[in-house]
Amino acid sequence: MGIGLDLGSTTTKGVLVDKSGKIIAAHLIPTGAIASTAAENVLEELTKLSQLNLDDVSTVSTGYGRTQVKFAHESITEITCHSVGVHSLNPGIKLLIDVGGQDSKVIRIGSKGRPTDFELNDKCSAGTGRFLEVMARVLEVSINELGPLALKSKSPCPISSTCTVFAESEVIGRIGSGESPANLAAGIHQAMAAKISTLSRRVGVASPIGVTGGVARNPAFRYYLSGNLNCDLWMPEEPQLTGALGAAILAIARASVF
Amino acid sequence: MSENVKEEKAYRVLESHSFLQRAMFRYMLEGHAASEEGKLAWVTSGFPVEIPVAMDVGVSYPEQYGAIVGSEKAGPKLCGYAEELGYSQELCSYARANIGSVKHPEESPLEGLPAPQALLACNNICGTVLRWYDAISQMTGAPVFLVDTPPLEGEQLPHHIAYVRHGLDNLVSFLSAKFGTTLEEDKLREVTDLSTETIGVWTQCLEACKNKPSPLNCADRFLAMAPVVAIRGRDYTLEYYQTLLNEVKDRIANGLGAIRNEKVRLLWDNIPPWFRVFRIMGSLAKRGVVFPADTYTHAWTGSFKDEDRMDSIAFMYSNVYLNKGLEAKVDKMCDLIKDYDLDGFVMFSVRSCKRYSLGQLVSKELVSQRTGVPGVVIEGDMVDSRLQNDAQVETRLDALLEMLL
Repeated sequence: MGIGLDLGSTTTKGVLVDKSGKIIAAHLIPTGAIASTAAENVLEELTKLSQLNLDDVSTVSTGYGRTQVKFAHESITEITCHSVGVHSLNPGIKLLIDVGGQDSKVIRIGSKGRPTDFELNDKCSAGTGRFLEVMARVLEVSINELGPLALKSKSPCPISSTCTVFAESEVIGRIGSGESPANLAAGIHQAMAAKISTLSRRVGVASPIGVTGGVARNPAFRYYLSGNLNCDLWMPEEPQLTGALGAAILAIARASVF
Repeated sequence: MSENVKEEKAYRVLESHSFLQRAMFRYMLEGHAASEEGKLAWVTSGFPVEIPVAMDVGVSYPEQYGAIVGSEKAGPKLCGYAEELGYSQELCSYARANIGSVKHPEESPLEGLPAPQALLACNNICGTVLRWYDAISQMTGAPVFLVDTPPLEGEQLPHHIAYVRHGLDNLVSFLSAKFGTTLEEDKLREVTDLSTETIGVWTQCLEACKNKPSPLNCADRFLAMAPVVAIRGRDYTLEYYQTLLNEVKDRIANGLGAIRNEKVRLLWDNIPPWFRVFRIMGSLAKRGVVFPADTYTHAWTGSFKDEDRMDSIAFMYSNVYLNKGLEAKVDKMCDLIKDYDLDGFVMFSVRSCKRYSLGQLVSKELVSQRTGVPGVVIEGDMVDSRLQNDAQVETRLDALLEMLL
């Protein structure tokens, strides 16, 4: 068996796989202030869900908090883990777009499932889940309602500010002027998709394209991104777990070396 | 006990470093002495320094001082003083650190640089230097002289080199009037010959790194480059590089690399983050990663061959790496990757140095395409540690290594 723990800035994910890479159990919780505590809690939950003794199972940690997990045997970057995870679910995927809570990344996946090139945006929240959270609050909807709201619009209202903070002010201003929430929501997703598309073009757009991360669950994001890249998108059933899945598969691989 | 500790380090320390320290100390003392005699000029790193040296003018390098500020981790403090005066954080951190140290020498490493009587700028490295030296001129009263080397795209045209040559003649007049000395042809010949010989020995040290394992890591070269930058045209500089070359040859003969367990060979592009470079290189060395070549130390090459040494100087200084376009940079990186048999590259995007960093995202793609090796761009600064995020740098470096190891 293998365990993969993905300690993201917003959520911590854990996946337990059998030796063939099939998922036995998975869990996700908010990371909170202390990454190592979140990791321990996720491990406990995996133990409960699987009803197995998980002591001594090969464990790989990934994500920004990867070095905080003392009981992990190895830490590997999320770039490699997402690549491996997606490749195991869909070997045809050449370009992976992962949009998380506080960063976004694009990864070219090689024939062996390992990255051959990548670009990260870890400087600007306007291309991340944080942007959508801020906007959902301004539009007074939940994050899950934001996408469907945007899809109702036939006429997206363009947002000119590139910065999350200034865009927030701009949207508030437009609400005051009577602009419809649906059109604003659409404009917001259009802006985000444009940013992510630009990042993708840095490494070269190659079909088929996969999307992962919490933001991938947003149907409006996928709609606008697909339009901008002029490509269909593939999303795994659990788009937030691919990093942890990849880590778990790599945990199996490292155990077989010993 | 200390023997054991030495053995555990992943990288080998150079014996010739003690000579290097003495050489740099001497350079500093000479700078102070020259300042006291009223004969000191501050010069930019690409300035045709052989001329003032031949005219018996002492020189100090604010950019080399910037490296010291960075290494001493005084960047945020000194840059902060410049920012208090109204300079933007977007301005080059070498400039800000220098301005900050002139404002508050008592707060600066080594109590700042000795006071200049002239400021000699050459814009072959960037256009910022002129305004930077103008600012220093306002603060110190020393006059500025600019050697203008317009940027080159492709072959250098005759009128371009004639223009630069004319500027050098004006430089001689300026230094004559300011310091009451003349330029003797034999002296210029002697100084340029020493420079040529020194650079020749330095180049041999660089090229020795084609060897596997590489006898020098980039961190070693970043330290060792100081004299060829700041003390050209002097005999003790030549002696130092001869000592270094002997040590390098010795390492090669005994199969000793700069790091103990060489597994991955990479190219480094740009000025290093002085406040963090040894830690980064040390931790990479533990994983078997060495940098046999880098574009920064390789920028100090060339020789003065023409009969008319002034013509040679005009040519050499207007054709430096940073004065050429992006294509020349891409060519250089591809050549280094090929010649030194490198597995990948790291491009350090230095916030301060637009001339060096602009275009890296494009050149990264081009270099990868042409050489077939992967690379990564990491972001930060050479002196201002506030502009660098260690975790972000580590993630990118780790991801590159995961592709290679």
